[in-house]
Amino acid sequence: MKSKGLFGLSFNWIFALIVGGFILFLAIYGSSKFIVTSESTIYTETAAKLTSLLDPLETGLASGKATEITFKKESRFKFTCNEKSFAPFGKETVSFSEQTFGKEFGKQSERVDIKDKYIFTNSLLEGKRLIIFSKPFFLTFKVADLTLIFSQEHCFFDAPEEIEEELEGLNMAGIIFMNRSQEVKDCKGISVCFDDEMNCDVEVSHDKNYLVKEGKKLYYTDNLLYGAIFSSADIYECNLKRLKSKFDELSKIYLTKVNIIERSGCLSNIGSKLELMSAELESSRDILRLTEMAEEIDLINKGAKSGCKLY
Amino acid sequence: MGTKKGQLKIQAERTFGFLVPKSSKGQLKIQEMAFMLVAVFFFFILVGLFALSLFYSGLYKQANKIAEERTLSALTNLANSPELSCASSKSNCIDADKLISLVGNEPYENFWPFSSLKVIRLSAFDKSDSEMIECNLANYPDCEKFEVYDKELKNERSISTYVALCRKGYENTYTYEKCEVAKLVAGTEIKVQGESE
Repeated sequence: MKSKGLFGLSFNWIFALIVGGFILFLAIYGSSKFIVTSESTIYTETAAKLTSLLDPLETGLASGKATEITFKKESRFKFTCNEKSFAPFGKETVSFSEQTFGKEFGKQSERVDIKDKYIFTNSLLEGKRLIIFSKPFFLTFKVADLTLIFSQEHCFFDAPEEIEEELEGLNMAGIIFMNRSQEVKDCKGISVCFDDEMNCDVEVSHDKNYLVKEGKKLYYTDNLLYGAIFSSADIYECNLKRLKSKFDELSKIYLTKVNIIERSGCLSNIGSKLELMSAELESSRDILRLTEMAEEIDLINKGAKSGCKLY
Repeated sequence: MGTKKGQLKIQAERTFGFLVPKSSKGQLKIQEMAFMLVAVFFFFILVGLFALSLFYSGLYKQANKIAEERTLSALTNLANSPELSCASSKSNCIDADKLISLVGNEPYENFWPFSSLKVIRLSAFDKSDSEMIECNLANYPDCEKFEVYDKELKNERSISTYVALCRKGYENTYTYEKCEVAKLVAGTEIKVQGESE
């Protein structure tokens, strides 16, 4: 008679079960870790590829460009902005994840740095479709391209004609122009009003160059209006500081150019005016002061001889 | 044969009797199984390590591919960037008067996604790198190569594009724009598995 151990199993069986179980556990644990790492890798790749996809949107000589990116699954992008890291330009980061099982989102990917772009968007973007457009930003000379990304539909109530024409000219989806007779509740997405009397998510005081969003007043000039509308208040303020830093670096380049073109008989007093603009930007309100100074420089440049224009 | 095996077993039991417990047959089976399990275990670890190394080499390949794509897409638009674009609203045109101030401009070293960036004038197309006269503020415009920056990496792949390079010229009190063909060269760092940064 063979002796039977626990539950009538021989020692061999118990031993095999314990060790086999241990190996199986290790295999399953290793596989699950591998799957998580692979998923994170794919998500990080997607986030990195997004930055490459934004390059063709550089406006160059154009007044704007637009495109759309669609995903098979519901996707989530998280953006952060830090004007102090990576001095003097600051940086933004983007991470990606998508819906896996049910409505659960996978673990957010590693953050990918974006240093040479100025992306104005919500800190959290969700959807199957991203609408992207770009607009140049001038402060005397061209400083950078503003890249604007949104996923939710935006309803513009009583938008000025020039804004309507400009956006319609880009031939993009996601922006609906509505008039005073239509009600805010008819809007399925974000409501943007250019009229004080309406109660909207974004209230624009176009003649005073500011808008109110998330309870914060964001000042703008020119194309920065779109940046203020489509981005979170903190990302807007951060990117504005980054743009000011870029302006300062470009000013140094133009100051050298002033010295070089002086050799060619072009005298300019733009240099001293540019130096006056180098003060730090505390908040978006300062952009109004800078724009006034920039207009002065612009007048001097326009008045220069045709061969002596700085920009 | 069967008897020989049996004799060997009995002999082993007699010789190493102090090591072998009474239920020696069971113990031997356990030992056999344990060795087998250890072998299987190590086999799977080796297979796992092989799979991981394959996975990571693929990862490096993919990372390098993304970096190169990024360099290519950024390079095609670089000439139109505010730092380099010509004053006269020409597309794909670099303003040499602006470019010269970018030479050795440290902040820009990490701004663009390139590991190196240079512009070579038409006159130096046939020359080797060491033969070219590097541009600086003192010898500009009588020079051939604008070395914006070079991180001097061991593993780098370069791509180039042709651009117009313009600067202000001056003759008989007349200021004009003097343009020529130039080559814009940008490098991408190629990451190699097992090599640290």
